[in-house]
Amino acid sequence: MTDTSFLLGLADAMVSASTVLVLAGLGELISERAGVLNLGVEGMILVGALSGVIATVVTGSYWIGFAVGSVCGLLMSAVHAFLCISLKADQAISGIMLTLLGTGITTYFGQQWASAQFAGFPDRTLPVIGGLLVEIPIVGPTVFEGPATDFVALGLVVVVWWLLTRTNLGLEIISVGEDPETADTMGIDVFKMRYLAVLIGGLLAGAAGAHLSLAFTGIWTNNIAAGQGWIAVALVIFARWRPGRLLVGAYLFGLFNSLRLRSQGLDLTLAPESPLAALLNPVVEFLLNPAIMSMYPYIVTLVVLVATVVWSRDDDSAQPAALVQAYSREAD
Amino acid sequence: MLVDIDVSAREETPSWVAYGTPLFAIAAALAVSVVALIAIDVNPVAAYVQMFVRPFGTVSTLSNVLVRATPLILVGLGVYLPMKAGLWNIGAEGQLLTGAIVGTWIAINVSLPQAVLIPVMLAGAAVAGGLWAFVPALLRAKWGISEIITTLLFTFIAADIQLYLVRGPMQGGSGGFPQTDLLPGVAEFPAIPGTRAHVGLLVALLFVALLYAVMRRTRFGFRVNFVGSNAEAAEQAGMSRYRVYLLTLVAGGALAGLAGISEIAGNQSRLHASFAPGYGYTAVPIALLGRNGVSRMLLAALFFALLFVGGNRVTVAMDVPAAIIDIVQALVILFLITAEFFQRYSLSVSVDRGDDGQTIQGTEVSADD
Repeated sequence: MTDTSFLLGLADAMVSASTVLVLAGLGELISERAGVLNLGVEGMILVGALSGVIATVVTGSYWIGFAVGSVCGLLMSAVHAFLCISLKADQAISGIMLTLLGTGITTYFGQQWASAQFAGFPDRTLPVIGGLLVEIPIVGPTVFEGPATDFVALGLVVVVWWLLTRTNLGLEIISVGEDPETADTMGIDVFKMRYLAVLIGGLLAGAAGAHLSLAFTGIWTNNIAAGQGWIAVALVIFARWRPGRLLVGAYLFGLFNSLRLRSQGLDLTLAPESPLAALLNPVVEFLLNPAIMSMYPYIVTLVVLVATVVWSRDDDSAQPAALVQAYSREAD
Repeated sequence: MLVDIDVSAREETPSWVAYGTPLFAIAAALAVSVVALIAIDVNPVAAYVQMFVRPFGTVSTLSNVLVRATPLILVGLGVYLPMKAGLWNIGAEGQLLTGAIVGTWIAINVSLPQAVLIPVMLAGAAVAGGLWAFVPALLRAKWGISEIITTLLFTFIAADIQLYLVRGPMQGGSGGFPQTDLLPGVAEFPAIPGTRAHVGLLVALLFVALLYAVMRRTRFGFRVNFVGSNAEAAEQAGMSRYRVYLLTLVAGGALAGLAGISEIAGNQSRLHASFAPGYGYTAVPIALLGRNGVSRMLLAALFFALLFVGGNRVTVAMDVPAAIIDIVQALVILFLITAEFFQRYSLSVSVDRGDDGQTIQGTEVSADD
């Protein structure tokens, strides 16, 4: 394997691996912007991934699978919305338990689908302009060639940015996350806006799961999300609740994720005659051990999370002011 | 029109509602789980008899519940204590794993007489678990970084380290299985005569009593409760939130570490790749179900131990996937928080009271004490 093809493969895998985080992260971002923390993302990704596989196997269409996976994520988030918005339950408890429930349900029903064969999303060039852009070295084939869900995710980054900053609906969502009392007096339906944001979040988490099983791995395995839902929650903090920064963060984590998957083709050990070989080779081997490499994304998440929070400690303005606070109307 | 119920806060919760809520939550969870059992063509009545009645059949089956309960009580305390201070130790699983790793290493590599070795193993496991919780505790206390996310990330890292160790440096035996050597006989926790339960259970009950006393009788316990119910007010009263956060989460980690080594030395006899079936995650529902007192947490731990034993029985006897345990656990708590709404609010005609003091804050877990 030559170095350029390794880099190309790595960059390609990075974009594809980041799509899960982009989709789930955007959903979490919208939900949190409306003031509702959703810690059930991990569970929603799992449910989206399994239901997507089942629907694809049954109908033979990966697009139907993608739609069903997204809707199942939405249905789970409806439980979260009902508990947290209508019943004013603790958002952290509800979310954590939905993750536990999602893990349980998908492990329970997932066994028989673990060896299921299906045709997932094929790699293709972005329609219309893709044919031209794909000629750009490295960037072209990595960004403009891939499963359709990669393009959907990239498009959604722009859509969500536009929605939140350029539309009335977006401003209403943000207002119920910043100051629900004032929003209510302005005539905005706080409950409706929060429901809407949480449901969009669940839809995107389900879509992230469906992408994961239908386009990225091409197979269902137990606990396929492997903590990516939690990384998505951390990414939103890193992104300071902004879609553009979320994309950057997702690429960073996609890189570490794909590094692990592609590292088999990489040989970094020094030649035995090199004087440092005896000293460094065990270190390199340790660092390239698959079990050790699989913890890199978590370590990077920790480091980046801490760095973000410590550096922007004096600027609390990015976090929605009413995050995790239930809203009750004064008795009227 | 989306759901927008007109509700009013109860001035006080009737006692039958308060006591009935956990029981209702369990009953509702079991009722809904029937769907999952029917979906795989299992007779739910037969399954529930197998799960919840059969374990009471003989002393030996009953002692299985106590064996399961031992790590669950310890790790349950490990989530319960930080929860009292308003913190979520969602990553108790990771602290449990590090405790098991370090305790096992001591058991295999240090030769001491049994009366010394077992306390050293316990201490090593507690220190390891405490250290594993230390960084998340520091990050939370100093910069307010969510301990939910950090303890979980530390759990994922601990799980990878465990896999690396049992496949590499700590791998033992023959056949290349991902496991260590068997613990030497002196390192095994002695059984309580006549049962399969072991010394770990006594350690667990000791800590239940200790925590009960600390929370009720000491200044520290008072501070923890104060910070947990209103951190701002506690700060104004001159209490250090920083110290309470650090101490409770690190102590929680130590308790989880004890759970880890007690499961290895008391039950499994060796560290292997999948020795912990998510006890650390189950600890969260345990602490939530028993959030109103250490003794109720003990009952919750016994109930979930029964669920584990029963879950294993239906897995073996009726081919029900073991994940039924996770489904029931999650549903119990989801129904618990649903029911708590009716504890706090009454749905009758709303009364104009003009105050809104019952708004539930996100992390106030002990507000109803």
